[in-house]
Amino acid sequence: MEALQPVLTDLKESMFPCMWPSPQPDPEELCAFTDLYGSLRLLLSFQMKDERFNSTELCARIEAFLDTFSLANAKINIHLKFKLNQQTFQRDLRVKIKSTVVLANQPSRILDVTCSTQPPECVKKGCWCQGGHPVIGGMVPLSIPPKAMDQGLFGELSIQPVTLLSPCVLQYPNLATQLTHIKISFANFIISPSTFFQNLPAHLDCQELGLHGLHCSSFKDHVHSSGMVYTVEQEPCKDPEQESSLLPMQQSLRLYLFLQHSDPFNCHLSDLMATEVLIEHYLEDILNNNRQSVTKALQTELQNTLKAQNRRKKDQEKLRSAAEVILSSSISVVSCSSNVDFRTACLNSMKVRDTHDLSASLRESLRRVTSWKFTPRDRCHSAQMEEHPESDDATRREI
Amino acid sequence: MGSCEAGLFTEIDKLRAELVNNVEVMPGCQRDEEEITYREILSRIENVILGIVTSLSKDENPVLALPNRSSWANVSFDSAIGLQMNSGSSVTSIRSDSPSSVRKFAQILKIFLVIYKLVQSNSYATKRDIYYNNTQLFGSQKTVDSIVDDISCMLKVPRRSLHVMATSKGLISGDLCYLEEDGTRVDCRSGSAAVAVSSNIGGIRNIVSSAKFVMIVEKDATFQRLLDDDFCEKLSPCIIITGKGVPDVNSRLMVRKLWDTLHIPIFALVDADPHGIEIMCIYKYGSVAMSFEAHNLTVPSVMWLGLLPSDLQRLRVPEDALIPLTKRDENKLSSLLKRPYLTSQPDWQKEMELMQQTQVKAEIQSLAAIAPDFLTNIYLPNKLRYGGWV
Repeated sequence: MEALQPVLTDLKESMFPCMWPSPQPDPEELCAFTDLYGSLRLLLSFQMKDERFNSTELCARIEAFLDTFSLANAKINIHLKFKLNQQTFQRDLRVKIKSTVVLANQPSRILDVTCSTQPPECVKKGCWCQGGHPVIGGMVPLSIPPKAMDQGLFGELSIQPVTLLSPCVLQYPNLATQLTHIKISFANFIISPSTFFQNLPAHLDCQELGLHGLHCSSFKDHVHSSGMVYTVEQEPCKDPEQESSLLPMQQSLRLYLFLQHSDPFNCHLSDLMATEVLIEHYLEDILNNNRQSVTKALQTELQNTLKAQNRRKKDQEKLRSAAEVILSSSISVVSCSSNVDFRTACLNSMKVRDTHDLSASLRESLRRVTSWKFTPRDRCHSAQMEEHPESDDATRREI
Repeated sequence: MGSCEAGLFTEIDKLRAELVNNVEVMPGCQRDEEEITYREILSRIENVILGIVTSLSKDENPVLALPNRSSWANVSFDSAIGLQMNSGSSVTSIRSDSPSSVRKFAQILKIFLVIYKLVQSNSYATKRDIYYNNTQLFGSQKTVDSIVDDISCMLKVPRRSLHVMATSKGLISGDLCYLEEDGTRVDCRSGSAAVAVSSNIGGIRNIVSSAKFVMIVEKDATFQRLLDDDFCEKLSPCIIITGKGVPDVNSRLMVRKLWDTLHIPIFALVDADPHGIEIMCIYKYGSVAMSFEAHNLTVPSVMWLGLLPSDLQRLRVPEDALIPLTKRDENKLSSLLKRPYLTSQPDWQKEMELMQQTQVKAEIQSLAAIAPDFLTNIYLPNKLRYGGWV
């Protein structure tokens, strides 16, 4: 990225010789305009003459940037076209399901909450939430490290986490879940390999979170944009028999960090852009300078997410232990009964031949009906919402 | 004063004649109980299990529907029976797919199994046995007690027909002999010691008694006092019984059994306070919780012998023996006055309204403030002699 700086500087100077940020347009006026003329479009086209750059890598970096941009600006449809020699790479970034996030002291952001996880086969059509429900965390003020101040970074800096658990299984309250991955990314920056984030697992209290461990695995995914990815170490299953029949739904947690800076003395667009460059440059120092508060904020968000998972685990245990009694009592009555009609009716109902098969069949059926108990929620993005994938307000606690 | 004094039972004998003429006897309920065979009970349990299996075969969540035994909306009053459960009463659904109710679902199924095996093998167990066989599942004795009654209501079968017994807490004494189901001969005539109410009232046979009346005593303390004062000798022949407060089912069944067998007046001796009146109403009209079995448990002919609120004024019970009504007492009194059965008891209403006006209550023990032996030697004999009941 640093190598591109001169290019970006040239680009900026040629595009914005003397620009300053204009006030935000009035939403009603904007609507009136777009109703008449359609959505606003911005075409940004540039040609690279310098052949020093690896085009494939450049394309990947631009795509990664646009992915990151799209995640937190989901209402903007992006069409990327990259020509190299005679080859053209094209990609449309259109978000299927969006959600509005109201942040402190910032304009609202539209997040991409689309979930790509396919529903299991047993889920009926229209009964699977295809999106997520962002949960806004508390704002954490950050102190600016002296190094950055020396370079001209002043003002107030803060960070606000937003978590997104995927896939959403709120409509299946009895389903056991298992957090397998945590992805942390900045909403408006691309994180370079960061020691802060690499060392994060060592500073989190995994015991308090009820986790066996967190392992950092740096991971760049063109679809999901770059960020730090952590693998959650799972508890070994005590009962191998249970393992096969009660696989929990694997979920991943996306933790967006919205960094906000304000400086009343920065009013020119060029100043704003310079500040952004500074923040990005000193991001690692900023994080290290505020290690305790940032780690605590992340710990809190993870704890809230895992609280719900743990609750589900306890509920699962209640259901499982009660199911044993229900099944054993029912089967005992059938086995003890001398009423042929009753026994036949039970066996025929479940289409089995004997009480041994009846036991297995009832067990599987009970597990299925209880685990996949469906409780529809208006806020979930089920199939019928596809036509109107509009945002809904994020809640403080929505897990 | 002795029991042979002429005229002591004149009013009681008159009352008895009146009761026998007026009160409908219901032999059908006895026959109803015999008609529920063990095969039918097993079949009713099997239907519940089949319902669960059928639900699961359709990939539907099994649900148990328990009649709601705590709602006044589910009961109606019949002057001949008391409070009885309506046929279309509301139910509470116990789901097997909800973490909050699945445990109860499992507890109910477990008790169904226990009952099934007891009935099938013609053996008996107490509610305590059921609890101690699986304390982890049930958590408390109260849970077992409640579920057994729920099942009894759900299947429309008396608890004793489910082969589940309860240890009785009541005591009985007086002119009464009978045989238990296992052939044990019980003689309640020992003056100083009382006999525990049987835990198998349905199995009692060969009842022999020449008692002129039965007196239900609210509290154990008063009952013991009467025993100590040789009440049953002095007012012989009679029977006294106590449920030690809110009566258990066996005590209520025993009172009902005595009425059905002997057709003699049943009097209640309770404290002159809302709690005592409510206990008396349970014997007479039944409770909401057991309304599904009202036919076997209620004795609508119960008369209020004492302690009446009007007695407090009439006897000039010392003021320091009187207790002001609390807010809770007032609320209870208002609630009692609104109950459907009070409209057919104008004299009881008057007594309760008097209590509302005077704003005081009193225990039976308050009569000791007049004289130590006032209760046994003066109050009760005069009440019985001169028809001082309402």
